[in-house]
Amino acid sequence: MEPATGLKLDYNHKLTIKEFPYIVRWREDRCKRCGQCTAVCPNGAIKPAVKYMRVIESGGDTPKPRPVRRIIHVIEQVDNMENYCTGCAMCALVCPNNAIEPEYNPQNKFLFYKNRGGEGYKRGGRRNDPGVSTLDRIKFTRISMLTDPALDAGRHEFRVRSYIGRILPPEELPLKVEDGRLVVDKSSGKFIPPVREIFPIMIGSMSIGALSPHMWEGLAMGVAYLNEVEGIPVVMCSGEGGFPPRLLKSRYVKYFILQIASGYFGWDSIIHTLPYMTEDPAAIEIKYGQGAKPGDGGLLMAPKVIKLIAEIRGVPKFVDLPSPPTHQTKYSIEEAVMKMIQSMSMAFGFRVPVYPKISGTRTAKAVLNNLARNPYAAALCIDGEDGGTGAAYNVSLDKMGHPIASNIRECYLDLVKQGKQNELPLIAAGGIGKKGNLAANTAALIMLGASAVAIGKYIMQATADCLGDEYNRCNMCNTGKCPRGIATQDPKLYRRLDPDKVAERVVEVFKAADVELRKIFAPMGRSTELPIGMSDGLSIDDKEMAERLEISYAC
Amino acid sequence: MPAKRKEQKETPKVGLHESVISYKDAVRWTDSRTVTIYGNINGKRVPSRILEEFIQESVRDGARNLHIHADGQHGIGGRLYPQGEPIRITIEGPVGQRCGSMGMFGTEIVIKGGVSDDVGWLNCGAKITVLGDATNGAWNAAAQGILYVQGSGGARCDTMTKHNPRFDPPQSWYLRDVGDSFAEFKAGGIAVICGVNPRNPRSVLGYRPCVGMVGGVIYFRGRIDGYSERDVKLLEITEQDWNWLCENLKPYLTAIERIELYDELTKSPNEWHKLVPYTPQERRQRRWFKVSMDEFRKNYWEKEVGKGGIFAEYVDHEPTIIPYIVTGEYRRYKPIWANEKYAPPCAYSCPTHIPTHKRTALIRLGKVKEAIEMVLEYSPLPATVCGMICPNLCMQACTRGIIDMPISVKEFGKASLELPAPKKPKTTGHKVAIIGAGPAGMSAAWQLSLKGHDVTIFEATDKIGGKIELCIPEHRLNKEILHREIERFKEVVTDIRLNTKVTKELFEQLLKEYEFIIIAVGAHKPRKVPFPGSEHTVSAYEFMRDINRGKTYDLQGKRVVIIGAGNVGMDTGVEAFLCGAASVTAVDIQKPAAYGAELQYAKQKGVEIIWPKITEKYVPEEKKIYFTDGTNLDADFVIMAIGDMPDLDFIPHQIHTEKGWLVINEFFQTSHPKVFAIGDVTGLGLVTHAIGHGRLLAEYLHGELMHAPITRDLRPRIPYEKIKIDYYERCRAVTSLEQEAERCLSCGSCRDCHMCEMTCFWGAISRVEKPDGRFEYVVDDNKCIACGFCVGICPCGVWEMVENI
Repeated sequence: MEPATGLKLDYNHKLTIKEFPYIVRWREDRCKRCGQCTAVCPNGAIKPAVKYMRVIESGGDTPKPRPVRRIIHVIEQVDNMENYCTGCAMCALVCPNNAIEPEYNPQNKFLFYKNRGGEGYKRGGRRNDPGVSTLDRIKFTRISMLTDPALDAGRHEFRVRSYIGRILPPEELPLKVEDGRLVVDKSSGKFIPPVREIFPIMIGSMSIGALSPHMWEGLAMGVAYLNEVEGIPVVMCSGEGGFPPRLLKSRYVKYFILQIASGYFGWDSIIHTLPYMTEDPAAIEIKYGQGAKPGDGGLLMAPKVIKLIAEIRGVPKFVDLPSPPTHQTKYSIEEAVMKMIQSMSMAFGFRVPVYPKISGTRTAKAVLNNLARNPYAAALCIDGEDGGTGAAYNVSLDKMGHPIASNIRECYLDLVKQGKQNELPLIAAGGIGKKGNLAANTAALIMLGASAVAIGKYIMQATADCLGDEYNRCNMCNTGKCPRGIATQDPKLYRRLDPDKVAERVVEVFKAADVELRKIFAPMGRSTELPIGMSDGLSIDDKEMAERLEISYAC
Repeated sequence: MPAKRKEQKETPKVGLHESVISYKDAVRWTDSRTVTIYGNINGKRVPSRILEEFIQESVRDGARNLHIHADGQHGIGGRLYPQGEPIRITIEGPVGQRCGSMGMFGTEIVIKGGVSDDVGWLNCGAKITVLGDATNGAWNAAAQGILYVQGSGGARCDTMTKHNPRFDPPQSWYLRDVGDSFAEFKAGGIAVICGVNPRNPRSVLGYRPCVGMVGGVIYFRGRIDGYSERDVKLLEITEQDWNWLCENLKPYLTAIERIELYDELTKSPNEWHKLVPYTPQERRQRRWFKVSMDEFRKNYWEKEVGKGGIFAEYVDHEPTIIPYIVTGEYRRYKPIWANEKYAPPCAYSCPTHIPTHKRTALIRLGKVKEAIEMVLEYSPLPATVCGMICPNLCMQACTRGIIDMPISVKEFGKASLELPAPKKPKTTGHKVAIIGAGPAGMSAAWQLSLKGHDVTIFEATDKIGGKIELCIPEHRLNKEILHREIERFKEVVTDIRLNTKVTKELFEQLLKEYEFIIIAVGAHKPRKVPFPGSEHTVSAYEFMRDINRGKTYDLQGKRVVIIGAGNVGMDTGVEAFLCGAASVTAVDIQKPAAYGAELQYAKQKGVEIIWPKITEKYVPEEKKIYFTDGTNLDADFVIMAIGDMPDLDFIPHQIHTEKGWLVINEFFQTSHPKVFAIGDVTGLGLVTHAIGHGRLLAEYLHGELMHAPITRDLRPRIPYEKIKIDYYERCRAVTSLEQEAERCLSCGSCRDCHMCEMTCFWGAISRVEKPDGRFEYVVDDNKCIACGFCVGICPCGVWEMVENI
């Protein structure tokens, strides 16, 4: 049946405003009708409208009714699901009179309706769970005052550093003494795996394409600054979206981890550029899974594949670019891991650490054990359920995946059982800094057994004011309409974002995290090496969690 | 011996010490002011606590010159409260930690050799001279007083010293150098490191001095290897500094017995430097970034990756940053004054597309005559059709109907009755034959004639008007109106051949003589369902035609059944009542199609409608009609009103028909390229449909004949929600066309109200009048921010937002 419009009013075709996730609160008495809110709204969720108001006034000593007709112009929330208010609050941002703002509506029935056309709800962001994560419940309870040397984070100089790459036990190192000096015994024929010293927080994989050129370059510049000016060896993973040849050929490529995923986008360009590279990249990450959307592939929609993206990814313009959920041609762990790690190691002459990234899963230990036997495996990155993404089905984001804390813990303890905990670094990701506690979450994961962590959502929030949160605010990265200019290829939007400012914020974020990590490690008496697996320093206020994580319970 | 001493005090017996050391043994008086105190008696060390007691007691007893032989006791020489005159203490032997700690003004301590850790700890005014090295932690937390060191300081000297404004700042002097972590958290006081023969020649201030230093000053001579740059800055010394140093070096060097170095140390102010902490203001203003990001981009990043950054080769826009609220090309959307982009519901719904909104617009401008006349461009029979018999699809669609009542197009139609015939233009010489002078044929003939073409109408009957004349009952149409409009018609279309039934032969001839032939013969062959007894029924067509021709049926007291409950059935039913019928029942096999005025009038008259009923047979003998469901009705008289079919005996075989109807394409063209068909011959419709066909076909043929572009209004109907009805007040009664015109919402057509111009906050919209008197509203792109207010508030729904590409 054709929906009735106009002549016949049929409220059954209308949703009430209470179904929507955000309700726009507009104040007539403050509005000057300048239209900045409607101009800036990324989703067309508000519009100017005409309203008729009728008031009966009565003056004098006796009833003397006089109808007063007033026609006013208002700002009205649109009541269709396509143009729902995402709560981004750009309206509130630009309103000179504080006359408008979105308000979260906890009773919303958004998910009941956001499936028009039989298409499940897709969005960006991370798991919509505003609760307190396990990581945020962990406390650092072993404070050294008189029992250990009291360290002072400000006064004592110490390095917060970690490693990517397989670290051979001393007895396996092909070393010999020659003229009283320790030298590599080349005659042994033994392979010494490449190792990179890094800052234990890295910027996780976010592709060119998912991110706007201004955002990506801002992050990259910030990373280069930290290395070149501040001497903090922060590395950043490219994501699967190719790699700008200019950066590939530059000296700074050594601060970047190149990602290869199931779409292999941009890799032919990278291979073409190999002979012109002056430095090796920091590492190669092979993406098998992503915490935000385990078992789901990526899709860069055709409208986003503008010239820049097309050329960097090595594809024609304006075509859909799907990354399959799984790598093709790989049919078992052994084969997948062996084949990919060998190939990628070979591409860089076995000089670059190569490690896989998987989504958090109960089967992580199986992957880990396979890697433990593989001499070329440089690390294992596990991306937990709270990881972010530019586009995924809401169901994948909200319901798929494994929390990172217990996943990293069981993997670490498994390595401990094998005596290999110092050999194969574990990189943890997914939900670090979800509530802003970047250093604390990092330290907790390190003390549970991670050698390093990767952050994505946090860095977007901290450096570019990404609006997304766990109340499904904004989260429209997938639409290309990112109001902050972070996840869009529309120059009109991404030119809002100043890459230099992003870079500055990256520097500030990492310098602050460096200080905060010291503020955690120093009072716990650790200053020389990262306290990886130092779980006696941790407690949690839940007995069962404590038991599962094999840490103490404190209340 | 002390003069005032009256009795021997009992020696304290506290603590872990097994043996009692007597005061007498430890304290030897030389005279009433001078005493020697031993920290070790016969190889037995005096505990720190006991020694402290002896020192305090001897001072209370008047000792002002104390010579102490120390044996590692803690805190010697401190806490001696002022006695009005100086207390001088010399110490020799191994000195314990925190010598002189909490020392007070008036205490002067000279240590005859090196000293252990924390000398002068929390000093509150004592002057301490160390004729040797001070070890770690010297001068820690000192608040007042002076420390003179003849040698070096150990690690972490001068930490946490401070300056209480009530007193002079503490001073610490080191002749050689100091160890690592010097002056951490120093909050005040003056430190001087002379750099004479330093133990660590790489740095006289050791490794990483001044972490957390916030106050005081450090003068030093010689080389240093870095300092906490976050906290302090390295400066040249000023003249004032130099004078202070030259002046104060003398007593220092004298005290440490090295006055011979004075000349060397005061050789040149250039050998000296100072470290001072940043002030809180400076800290706040200090650049966080060692290298500004701008510099970094220029001197590092773009040097490595190339000018314009890593993506420069792929982007073609300026690298500048743009704000959130933008104008011009940076807008994501832009407004368009899309006047007349959509068809208003009235014109869209009217098969003839009569633009009522334009007529009302003219009336609002005071051009009532032009407004009324305009309709003749669209229809030859506005008073008859719009004004009388049309169900007025325009009014059914009218947006105004949401508010109160639709615009009364009926009144507009009636108002056109008196209009004179429009002037005919010069003939074009093109000849078109039209078969049938019903509404379709009349409409086509009217339009073609007004465009200057020579039209010949062939009509089988002796009357113009077709079914309007023949089948519309008098109760619905005053024939006077029709006849007056036919008269006007005849002024425009002159060549009308009545009583000329077109035969096969004539048709062939017409094909030869005329450029185009339009078949508009309508449907005049009543359809009949062949059930037993159907031969005893009358068709509605015959019934109505007969009545319209003056024949009467005597149905007095008769029960009439009408098979077919459409609008024709309703008209028939009303006529049957007018002929005296006792009852009229209309039956139908499906939901009756009757609607509008016909249905309403029939119901008023008492026509009963029942359905579904499929007729099985009619038995005139029983005066009963039977239905397939086993029921029956009494029926004296049965009228079959199930529609009519065209009579197409005259057409050649090559013109296709389907189930009796002529097959046409979207341009009303039959399978013969010269032959077109309009009106009921192509399928039953309303009179307005027939008139619409005629007009559209005439437009098309005119294009064909004149080789002119064919214009057709293919505009979609404006969405109702675009019209802002809230601007309008309900009207209770309307008495004039002028009022009607004011009521019109001017859907999709600018009513020139200036609402947009007035509303635009940015002053981006202005009204521009064109030389020909027309107007438009234009947007200044350099002012417009694309807020959409014009779109949201336009009463007529004219403004639209489009992507700004």
